[in-house]
Amino acid sequence: MTDDSIYGHMKDEGVSRRDFLKMCGLAVGAMGMTSMPPLEASGLPATLNHVEKKSIDHVAKAMETQPRLPVIWLEFQDCTGCSEALTRANAPTLGSLVLDTLTIEHHEALSAAAGFQIEEAKQQAMEKYAGQYVLVVEGSIPTGEHAAYCAIGGRTAEVILKEAAEKAAAIIAIGNCSSFGGLPKASPNPTTAASVTDLITDKPVVNIPGCPPIPEAFVAVITHFALFGVLPELDKLNRPMAFYGKTVHDRCLRRPFYEAGKFALTFDDEGAREGWCLYKLGCKGPTTYNACASIRWDSGLSFPVQSNHPCLGCSEPDFWDGGGFYQGQSAPLQKPSMTTAGVAGAAGLAIGAGMAATAKAKKENKK
Amino acid sequence: MNPQAMLAFARGPFFNVAITFFIAGMLYRIANVIFLGWSKDLSKPRGSKGLGVVKSFLRGGLILPFFPREKKAFVNNPITYLAGGLFHLSLFIVVILGAAHMLAWKSLLGFGWWTLPLPIVDFMAAVGIIAMVMLLINRLNHPVLKRLSGAAEFFNWFLVFVPMVTGYMMTHHMFLPYENLFALHMVSINILLIWIPLSRISHFVFYFFSRTIHGVEWGKRGTMP
Repeated sequence: MTDDSIYGHMKDEGVSRRDFLKMCGLAVGAMGMTSMPPLEASGLPATLNHVEKKSIDHVAKAMETQPRLPVIWLEFQDCTGCSEALTRANAPTLGSLVLDTLTIEHHEALSAAAGFQIEEAKQQAMEKYAGQYVLVVEGSIPTGEHAAYCAIGGRTAEVILKEAAEKAAAIIAIGNCSSFGGLPKASPNPTTAASVTDLITDKPVVNIPGCPPIPEAFVAVITHFALFGVLPELDKLNRPMAFYGKTVHDRCLRRPFYEAGKFALTFDDEGAREGWCLYKLGCKGPTTYNACASIRWDSGLSFPVQSNHPCLGCSEPDFWDGGGFYQGQSAPLQKPSMTTAGVAGAAGLAIGAGMAATAKAKKENKK
Repeated sequence: MNPQAMLAFARGPFFNVAITFFIAGMLYRIANVIFLGWSKDLSKPRGSKGLGVVKSFLRGGLILPFFPREKKAFVNNPITYLAGGLFHLSLFIVVILGAAHMLAWKSLLGFGWWTLPLPIVDFMAAVGIIAMVMLLINRLNHPVLKRLSGAAEFFNWFLVFVPMVTGYMMTHHMFLPYENLFALHMVSINILLIWIPLSRISHFVFYFFSRTIHGVEWGKRGTMP
């Protein structure tokens, strides 16, 4: 055990062994770990392989050996909502876990310093922890000739991101904006906003989409990386499977009403008061992969559907352009206007009538 | 193209083009028939034309073996009648009374209606799919039907079958992720919409024409069974 390990740091702060092990159990739960990551890849001591096969033992061992993980947090075209959500990560122990496991080296919104001083501090951190730090990106990045829409200290977001990404061990894109472009990318995308994965292709990137994302998902991913040095299992859109493996619809508490065909039709009808399914009010739950329905928000208190609002689909790409929020999901996104339909119909009628008239004339000529 | 983008395309511009083509195409087909006109009717009717029409629809709408005269036609090819009847019933229930489909209609027409609970719609969808398979087997085996069937008939079958199967699979989250199946469902629907005016699936309109016209003729001649 080294003194600069996570556990060493916690011991200095007066955390008892019992509380430490409790926290390890919590971390196992937070990471949704059902199996261990490949330990060889993590560069952890080989002895770990011989520990009992319980996840909690691995976590405890990792915490005793791994140093705290440096984090550099960049904000671009965002609203700081993701940071806000994270500071409200429900269980206080989870919050402290983050603070014990990480050293946040740079975060504009949370830093006391400002201006050139914070930029300088960031450069120093990037040098000091080159190849070790995790880069967290919040907000989308304007590109091309519109890159100047987001510039910090006279440099564009694109340049800042690429510079920071070069020396990062891994990148976490937090929120829909950095994961998929989010609101800034919504049609007509005036700033030609792009996601992190659009710009960075040579580094491992984890997307933790949501508007904001569930804080526990971020906590779990970063804990996983801090402890094991590898990223958790991801889906096709680079989202951690433990949190984005099932749809909101799959785990929804109102699912039985969907099956039974009991739907709320307006926000103040009997169905809404009875807590029936919100599918007909535009719920995007069936195509939205997120853990809202199981983990929920504010210490598991509630989530949108529970508080009688349909899911907006905020953990999916381009959800702002996915039709009206209160429009049924099966409804088409585009349909012909009355004029187009009228013109097309009239053209069809005219050609049909013309053809019929020609055929009739031919027949009469034969007579 | 990833499934999400394909779904957005199929629900968006592709659907827009398909439905516009469908409207134009069906009106063309209808105009093409109606504007041919009718020959002058000089004979004195022997029976009520209106009653003939009513009887004609009752005959077509109810299962035929209940009419003694149709027994032979039924016995000769019961699968066509039974599976065909169940398939059309299933199609009506799923497409009109399924909650998801009603919402699609609602966005197009501006008004919605009451829908059936999922288990019933789901059961009827399964019935429809089984009926479709039976109809295909029958079409391949029946001595007369197989000689009447060309590429267009099998293409019709395929284009109707794909949306049914993808729709069923997506409700049950089978084999592929939901949005992939949703995308396939929408793409196949769009192709079907374009294909309908060009094919005999247009009978969904012409059926009512022919029933009416036959009913009028039967009623006029007093030859209704």
